[in-house]
Parts: sequence; C-alpha cells; structure tokens
Amino acid sequence: MSMKVGDMLARIYIVIIILVIYAPMIFLILLSFNTSARISFPMEGFTLDWYIGELKGYEYVSYIPVIHHWQFWESLKNSIYVSIAAGIITCLLVTTTALALRHRVFGRDFLFYLLLLGFIVPGVLLGLGNLLLYRMLDLEITFWNMVFVDVVFAVPFGLILMMARFDPDLMMYEQAASVLKASPVSIFRKVTLPLIRWEVLSAGILGFLLSWGELIRSFYVMRGVGTVSTYIYMQITMNPVTTKWFAAGTIIALVSFAALAVLGYLLSR
Amino acid sequence: MVRYTNYLLLLPGIITCGFYLVAPLVIMLMISFYKPVYPVYEPGFTPVNYINFLTSPQAPTILINTFSTTLLAAVISLILGYPFAYFLTFKIKSQKMKTYLISLLMAPFLIDWTTKSVAWIAILGESGLLNSTLISMKAIKEPLQFLFRRETLYIIWVQTNLLFMIFPIHLALNRVAPDLINAAKVLKAPPHRVFYDIIFKLSLPGVICGFIFVFVSTLGDYATPMLWAGGIQVLGLSVSSYAGNFLWPQASALGIILLVIALVVLYILLKVVNIKKLFYE
Amino acid sequence: MSKKIIAAKDLVKWYGKDVLALNKVSFEVDDGDFFVIIGPSGCGKSTLLKVMAGILDYEGELYIKGENMRDVPAYKRDVSLMLETYAVFPHMNVFDNIAFGLRMLGKDKAEIEHDVKEAIDLVGLSGLEKRSPLELSGGQRQRVALARSLVIKPSVLLLDEPLSHVDYILQRKLMEDFKTLHTKLGQTFILTTHVQEHALTLADTMVVMNTGVIEQMGTPDEIYCKPTTVFAARFVGDISLFPGEVTSKEDREYFVKTEFGELKALAPNETELVGKKLAYGIRPEFVKIGDEARSCENKYKAKFVGHYYFGNLVECVFEVKGGVTIRATVPPETAINLRLGETYAVGWHPEDAIMLEKPSVIEGLDIEGVIYGK
Repeated sequence: MSMKVGDMLARIYIVIIILVIYAPMIFLILLSFNTSARISFPMEGFTLDWYIGELKGYEYVSYIPVIHHWQFWESLKNSIYVSIAAGIITCLLVTTTALALRHRVFGRDFLFYLLLLGFIVPGVLLGLGNLLLYRMLDLEITFWNMVFVDVVFAVPFGLILMMARFDPDLMMYEQAASVLKASPVSIFRKVTLPLIRWEVLSAGILGFLLSWGELIRSFYVMRGVGTVSTYIYMQITMNPVTTKWFAAGTIIALVSFAALAVLGYLLSR
Repeated sequence: MVRYTNYLLLLPGIITCGFYLVAPLVIMLMISFYKPVYPVYEPGFTPVNYINFLTSPQAPTILINTFSTTLLAAVISLILGYPFAYFLTFKIKSQKMKTYLISLLMAPFLIDWTTKSVAWIAILGESGLLNSTLISMKAIKEPLQFLFRRETLYIIWVQTNLLFMIFPIHLALNRVAPDLINAAKVLKAPPHRVFYDIIFKLSLPGVICGFIFVFVSTLGDYATPMLWAGGIQVLGLSVSSYAGNFLWPQASALGIILLVIALVVLYILLKVVNIKKLFYE
Repeated sequence: MSKKIIAAKDLVKWYGKDVLALNKVSFEVDDGDFFVIIGPSGCGKSTLLKVMAGILDYEGELYIKGENMRDVPAYKRDVSLMLETYAVFPHMNVFDNIAFGLRMLGKDKAEIEHDVKEAIDLVGLSGLEKRSPLELSGGQRQRVALARSLVIKPSVLLLDEPLSHVDYILQRKLMEDFKTLHTKLGQTFILTTHVQEHALTLADTMVVMNTGVIEQMGTPDEIYCKPTTVFAARFVGDISLFPGEVTSKEDREYFVKTEFGELKALAPNETELVGKKLAYGIRPEFVKIGDEARSCENKYKAKFVGHYYFGNLVECVFEVKGGVTIRATVPPETAINLRLGETYAVGWHPEDAIMLEKPSVIEGLDIEGVIYGK
C-alpha cells in the first residue's frame, strides 16, 4: 500500500515540474490570440490579428502583424538553415568522435577533455572569441560561423550522451562481423550504424535544439538579420513588448516542431 | 590499421574544435593583454585590463553577485531536478513513457529565447497570472513585484536549464544495476540507506555533470540579468557591455576571468567525483 | 526431529501477465540443512531464492524461523543472499563492501574491523582490503560477495548459482569450501545450480524444479535411486528411457512392452501397474556388456555405435532394434575391446530398472515428450 502512495507522489511531482517548464510556452501560445496589446492575464478577447492582421503602414515594429514582418521571416529562415546545419554537423562529428574514442588511442584523455572544453566555456566567450578571431584575421563573419559556434557547444553534450548510452557489446558485435570476413566499411554500415541509430539521431536533434533558441553565443556572430533569437532580442530591447511577439514566438515554435518532425522522419529511415 | 582509422575519425572533431574553440579562446587571451587605447585597442602586452577590473570598487559586488546567483541557480536546479530524474528512472516503468517524458522536456527549446522569457511577464508581471489570481483571491491588495529583481533570475534560469540537470542524472541513475540495489537490500540496508549509499553515490557523476552544465550555462548569461532582473551586476553583463562598446581588451579580460571561474569550479567538482566513470564503464 | 527453519506453502509469482515463475511451490527446510535446488534455466530457482530473501513480492505463505514473512522487507529478514551476478559495489573497496552489512546493522567499529578481517581471511582475500572491485578478477569478486553475505551471520545463507561461472577446478574447490563452511558455521545453506553433480555432492536435502514447480524433494540418494517422475530421473543422473506399456505380471516381475522388446522389471511396491503406460528406465552403470550380460534377464543384441570418454569411465552407446539407444558406463579397460559397428550382448537385471508412471509434476505432458526432451 505504501508503495502506491509513493508512486502517486512521484507522478504528481513529475506533472508539476512539467507544468512549470511548459508554463511560459503555454501562456505564450494562449496569449498570442489576445486582443489587447498589453501583456496581461486574463485574456480580453480572441483575435488572429497579431498573425494575419492588416498592415496600416505606420506602426512600430511591435505592432506589425507577423505575416507582414519580413525581417522576422528572414531571421526565421536563417535560424532554420543554421540549426539544421548545426544538427547535421553535430551528428556527424559526435558519431565519428564517439566511435573513435572507444579505443585506447594515444592521448585519449587529453582529447576527451579538449572536446569537453566546448561544454565548459561560457557561451558568451565562444561567441565573442569567434568574432574577435575573425576580426584579427580580417575575415567576414559567415553563415558557417553561426553554425559552428553552435556545433562546438553541442558536440560535447552529444558526446556525453552517445558515450554514456553506447552498448558495451558494440565492439563485440563489430569483432564478430570482422571474423566473418566483413570489410570495415561493411561493418560500419551493417553492424555499427544500425545499432547506434538512435544515439546518432538524438545527437542530431540535440544539435538542432541547442542551436535553435540560442541567443547568448549567437549574438556575437550575427550575419545580416541574424537568427530569430538575436533578431527578436534586439527588437525587444528597443521596442515595447506587445502581444505581437507572442504570435512570433508561436510561429517559431511551430516551425521548429515541424523541422524536428521532418528531421526525425528522414533520419529514422 | 585500426589505429589509423581512429585517428582519421578523430580528425574532423579536432579540426573543428581547434579552429572554432581553441583559436577563439587563444585570440581572446591575447587581446585581453592589449592596451585599451580608445577607439579600440593597440597591440601590446599589458595586464592593465585585469588590474583595472580587479581593483575597481564594483569588482567585489560583481564577483559576489556572479558566484552567488549562478551557484544558487545550480543548487535549486539540483534540488528540483534530482527527484524528477529519480522518479523518471525508478518509478516510471515503461521505456516508451520515459523517452516520451524526456522529449517533452525538450519542447521549450523550440521557442526562441527572448519570447520565452517575455512569456514570464504574462505569469509574473503586475497584471500577470500570479498577481491576478492572488488579487482575486483577496490574498493581496496591490500587485507584488515578481519581475525585475534578483529572484527572477532564479526562476528563469532554473526553468531554462532544468532539462540539463535532469538528463545527466537520469543517465547516471539508469546505469545503476538493479542487482546492486538488491544486494544492498539483502545486506540489511533500510530504504533510505539503499538510496544514499548506493543510488545517490553512484549517480554523483551525473549530478556533477548536470551541475556544471547549469552553472556554466548561467555564468555567461548577460541577457537575462539585463532584461529581467533589472540589470543586476554580474560578470556576464559586464562582458557584454564592454563588447557592446567595442572595448575589446576589457571585454576579453573579463571574459577570461569568467572562464577562469568556470575552470576553478569545474576542477573542484571533478576532485569530488571522477566523471570519466560515467563514460568509460 | 529438526526444526523447520523455512516453510513455504503455495508460493506463486507472476512476472507481468504472461510469465508464471512459481506455480504453487510448497516445501520445508530443516534448520542447519544444506539444501540444494536444482533445475534447468528458467525453472524458477533464482526467483524462489529472491522471494525468500525478500527482494521479490509473492503470493502464498512463507515462514522463516516461524515468522510470517508477508510484508517483511529484506532488511528485516535474518537471511542473506549471494547473487548470481555477485553485484559487488563498484564504488567501495573490498573492505567496505564486506563491512557494508555490518554497518547497516549498526555494529560498532571495533566489531566490524574484527569480523571483516575474519571474513577476509576465511575466503582467502587477505591483503586485498583496499582494492577496488574493478581491479579484481571474477573469482575474487565472487569471494567478496560471499564474504559480505557470511559476515552478517544470517540464520539462512542463500547462494544463487555460485558455481555457474567458474572453471571446473575452482568448482571442486568451491564445493569443498562450501561444505567446510557449512559444517563449521552450522547455518542453513540454500544453494541453486543446474548441474546435478553439485547437488549430489553438496546436498543434505535436494529439490528438483521444473518450470515453476517442484518435481521431487528428498535426499540425493532418494532422488537418484528412486525418482518419482520421468523429469526427475532424466535431470539427475544419466538414464536410458524407453516408453512402454505393462503387459503382464508374474510373481513380482512386470513385463513391459517397448519398441525393441519386452523388458522385465521388479515391482517397486504392491500397486497394480498392468495395462499402464509408463517409462522404463535403466541407468548406464547398471548396463552390462558381453559376458557379464549373459546372466541378466534383460538381454539384447546391440550394435556399438559410439562412446564418450570421461577419463575414469567410458559411456558407450549401443543401438538396438528400431534405432533405440542404450547407454552403458564401463571402465576404460572394458571399453577398449569394443569395436565400432560390431554387435555385442548388453543386459541388465530387472531389479536395477526403474519404472516411472508420471512424466512430470506438470499436468498435460506425455511420457514421450518428457523422455525425448522438450
């Protein structure tokens, strides 16, 4: 009987925490339909104006309905490219590195800590450092800067994920395959890859997610309008906060959710 | 032949790391010693930037603020996150449900950072959910100030980073072989000792990992203090203000100090627990 | 009349909705006994130990030292269990591992020091106190697991397949050690294995299990010489079995018609067996070859088709009419004279034969099925 109570408490706790984590998102989506421009609760009325309202032509950015806000869409497009690229590259790097680190390579520990460094360095430094590096070399910040700043941060996390979840028998299966005269490429394609499919997939998703909503690092390597996070951040520091931004946020959530679904579908085949 | 393939596999990782991680840090280190001559800087080697900061009257406040807020945020995340990870590992039986819950936790990452924190206004603001409910329940007359104060930092930071505390702990807990728990029970350990001596101690690598992540994640955050905590003086904020004014040497120096703080804390924590155990075994 | 230290009645254990690990298992264990549970993999012996130790829930009744164990958690039972996986705590050294139970029981430091040292010497791990389990060999880890179970001096020591992952020489040594420990300490030992030799050597009382039920319980002698089911006969000791039907009875001898001939056996008791279908069995050590076979009442011509060499004995395989095989165990001197493909006389006395009516305690099985192994 006492076990049942313990289980109940556990479930309640889990639900509470999930609610707390979701609270902003829930309110965000809910209030994006609010008629009032002021952020307040409870809602005054229901409207889609913030999404597809009419453009009067003289409003501040904070009042332009999302559909007309071309810089927003521009930044959203950037975000999608950057995050998907970051996801794919993270995925590749994590897989190759994790597979290599299983063996006792010379300087294994050193390499491990080096890769972990990306994890430890505060985001602000990564962004600022990259900016300074390019200035010193007199190069222009490119799309790939934005991608790799995120990759370099996501890879350690993905590494930890992958190595912690590696099937300890994986090497055993690979050895069995090579005893059966399979070439290294075949072993990788037919034995290794299928067995680590899910870890590879999660590394990719991780790369995508860690890059998507990121602000702190990305801020310093902005190119053009920047990613959606940096763009909105800049706007909000200079413009009043209105419901319109909730509409923007909801669109962002929808787009990334869709991107993830597609990514997941593609990678799982 | 196997050795060569391994090195080959490691190459992309090392190159990427080298160029986008090590090089920037090295440059920053270099620039932090440049002379802070207006308008930008002059190459040279001087520790003036560090000295200026460390001897300035705001330095103690900034450093204390930085340490206290980030460490406290990490501790709160740990207190809230550990039970979640524990229940997730041991009380939820179906693997499907576990994966589902973990992916649920990732969903808030789908929204960009800024609007997510703006949403907090809807909850914590003067006309937000909390205040409206409290006023309508006649518990208070005037709206309470939840935003734009130090405590807002914790709410936002914990909420954003909870996943990263939960996940490593869950991974570590998952690796505790059930037979170890059985053995402890049979060796006369009452439930709370089974938890403390076996489960908790074996989950420490995960705890440290999560703690480090949350700590580092909050360490460099300049946006949250600026937007939502009334510009409370933390190091991250200082870095960004200097950077915003193109004062690179000063910004770099403060950034390096930030890095040193992170490394020191990491070192201390690693002395407590050997993280390699989480990965190699 | 020795005390019953463990009494179990109708123990039932389900894993999920599909797997019935224990199907109304009932038995009793005498205090101070060396009790061995033997059975094939998956028969439920590990489950049974875990239920007794208190780490698994169960339906039914379980009494240890006269107390009902319903709702009594593991840490309150006077029972210790050594797991098959050893489960030595990786984050503690050898000393702390062994001291764990004593610390949980709240013993004082001096007592712990003394007892742990004694246990370490007992299992032969002296000098390794500070080692981490990750640096130990499998055998050393097993001894750590054994020491920490012994040191808390439980009334009942449960050992789950302690001889299973260990080489032959070490198995022999361990069996000697267990026997010595048991005699010296006087506690009740309950051990599981799937190797019949272990059971026959170690047990004061043994139990043959099969898919969640007890086939037979008794002394090793009883189970070997007087098996009550075909399963028990097959599982403990080698045996050649033939399905047959009892055709008639003369004095105390029964005639059993089998595929290759009519065999004679002695009636074990007064029950009427004529007309019944049963399994006729003869253990290889009773089968005689050549001249010795001539004096036997069961005598057949059989072709020598193969043999298994055991060093001190040779098990020879003979084929009779219908492709049925009979096995005979003989000393190497005898076996060396046999030529493959040649026909010899094989035979045995009726009093050495075993007749088994019951295929198994499990309902719904037929004799042929159990004989030819499922």
